[in-house]
Amino acid sequence: MSVTESETITATEVWSPVDAGELLLEVEDLSVAFDTNDGVVQAVSDLSWELRAGETLAVLGESGSGKSVSVQAVMGLLPMPPGRIAQGSIRYRGTELVGASNSVMREIRGPEIAMIFQDPLSGLNPVYRVGWQIAEMFRFHRGLSKREANKKAVELMDRVEIPNPGVRARQYPHQFSGGMRQRAMIALALSLDPKVLIADEPTTALDVTVQAQIMELLTQLQAETQMGLVLITHDLGVVASVADRVVTMYAGRAVETGTADDFYGAPAHPYSRGLMASVPRLTGELGRLYSIPGSPPSLVHLPPGCPFHPRCTYAIDVCATTRPQLEPVDGRSGASACHRTAELP
Amino acid sequence: MTDTDPVAELDGSLDARDQARFDAEGLVGPPRTYWGDAWLILKGRWLFWVSLGIIVTFVSMAIVPQLFVWPSPGPDDPSGLFCFLSDARQPPSSSHWYGTDVQGCDYYAQVTHGARVSLIVALFATLITVIVGILLGGLAGYYGGGVDSLVSRLADGFFALPYLVGAIVVLSALTTQEGRQIWQVTVAIGFLGWPAVVRLYRSTVLQVKNLEYVQAARALGASDARIIFRHILPNAVAPTLVYTTIGMGAVISVEATLSFLGIGLPINSISWGIMISEAGTRIEQSPHLLFFPGLYLIVASLGFVLMGEQLREAFDPRFR
Repeated sequence: MSVTESETITATEVWSPVDAGELLLEVEDLSVAFDTNDGVVQAVSDLSWELRAGETLAVLGESGSGKSVSVQAVMGLLPMPPGRIAQGSIRYRGTELVGASNSVMREIRGPEIAMIFQDPLSGLNPVYRVGWQIAEMFRFHRGLSKREANKKAVELMDRVEIPNPGVRARQYPHQFSGGMRQRAMIALALSLDPKVLIADEPTTALDVTVQAQIMELLTQLQAETQMGLVLITHDLGVVASVADRVVTMYAGRAVETGTADDFYGAPAHPYSRGLMASVPRLTGELGRLYSIPGSPPSLVHLPPGCPFHPRCTYAIDVCATTRPQLEPVDGRSGASACHRTAELP
Repeated sequence: MTDTDPVAELDGSLDARDQARFDAEGLVGPPRTYWGDAWLILKGRWLFWVSLGIIVTFVSMAIVPQLFVWPSPGPDDPSGLFCFLSDARQPPSSSHWYGTDVQGCDYYAQVTHGARVSLIVALFATLITVIVGILLGGLAGYYGGGVDSLVSRLADGFFALPYLVGAIVVLSALTTQEGRQIWQVTVAIGFLGWPAVVRLYRSTVLQVKNLEYVQAARALGASDARIIFRHILPNAVAPTLVYTTIGMGAVISVEATLSFLGIGLPINSISWGIMISEAGTRIEQSPHLLFFPGLYLIVASLGFVLMGEQLREAFDPRFR
């Protein structure tokens, strides 16, 4: 254990406290490819975003749009091979993470960037008590004694609003309900006070009322700790209530970036409009729910030009030949990758 | 608070009732675990208790044979410790329950003392296969790629070797001028047994390593060694443990086979395998010389096999 303790000391000394609004995480021109038997799958292409302290960034997109792959790349959790980071850079407070050594990544994962996963049912190790798993973080990374670590684990479980934390800490994951497990996962991720929390579809596996509670908890904890939150989701409802900025991804690319207010007020990109139109509304006439025609393209054989043009109702000839770049949109801070941004109604 | 207690129903405020529910949730019964569930299943099975009884009997026989054998003083032999050639190969009687061997020694004492060597070989050969198998299988399964290819092809190579031929080769390589020792036989058996464990453990590691809690542990900064031993091992080890308990019975038989072929334990040691191999030539005149060590071997193997089966049924979720 002496080795781990010395690791602990370096890990806490390297990074200074975060200033308010400090730029924490920068993803620049990131491309991730998977070499498969069917060819090279371009899971993520030229993706850029940044995250500041206290800010919530929502990465929005349907299944297979590359949103999860992009954060796996940030965490260094891509299965390599077959995956590889073809180009681009990921910087955490100025430190390059692409190609960073395992020991650097280990210092960052946990105390600096933590992650919670989609499925709380399988996110906790079934053979250990929940409290033990949280306490392990304090013992392993902070070198606390068993007693102190257990005490902090119970405190933390109380902080994520797990009722009866003293009793719950002694229970095993299968004795927890889905929502409680996700709370325990959040406690686990927050145990080392990370500066950035990446939540990969944290509410997808939960039922609707619990989803709301979990999102509320995340926002509340974020307000307390001023951490940066990257929220990966396909649920526009989840995004609306918490996000500051939104990156919409389609076929591995960012098609629109901007503030959440702009996005919900008037989405610029035709794909974002399609997404918004397909959200069921409580007001207005009843009828068939809108769905974007067609299906997402194969990432091995992307259509030339704009990847969305075969499904786009606004497509013109140039869309099939030239790939649009992210261009600033008039009158707002965001950008949209569409040839017709200015002309769209 | 029970359903038939209307006073409690009416009396308790919502908070109090909720509190009672929480308390009940936390306090009813001990927290159940993977191992705890297995124990609940096991303790209700008579076959588990039978096999446990067999194993405990043979293990205590190996550790303290004095518990089972005591000198039987006779008129010619006041200490009860001597063998008389004049009594050689006598069938079972009241003074010699299992008869006597070719030297005129009490065969019950011989068979009982044979448990130690046979079980030592079984235990340590199995230990070698488990340790090597879990280490190599864990590395192969966790790291994949080149490490996996190397380990898997090595295991395939060992698989291609017929067990007995392999044991003959290894034992002749290990045999020194002083002759064979117990450890050489143990190592030879363990050396040939690990590939099966590697395959089994590697496959369970492959399943477990992609589970989210392993990913989560990595996302929260755990090192490779910690992931392999703390997070993967306890979740992946059950099938391997079960396989090796079943294998224990097989190892005892292999030791007997090797001794029977004359390439096993040194000739002066006492083991069931050696007794069986020596009795083979006299089976018509003195069948009891084959019968009793054979019976012990079969019952001990049965004990381990039954235990293995019971453990498998208790630990493998598909059997629950």
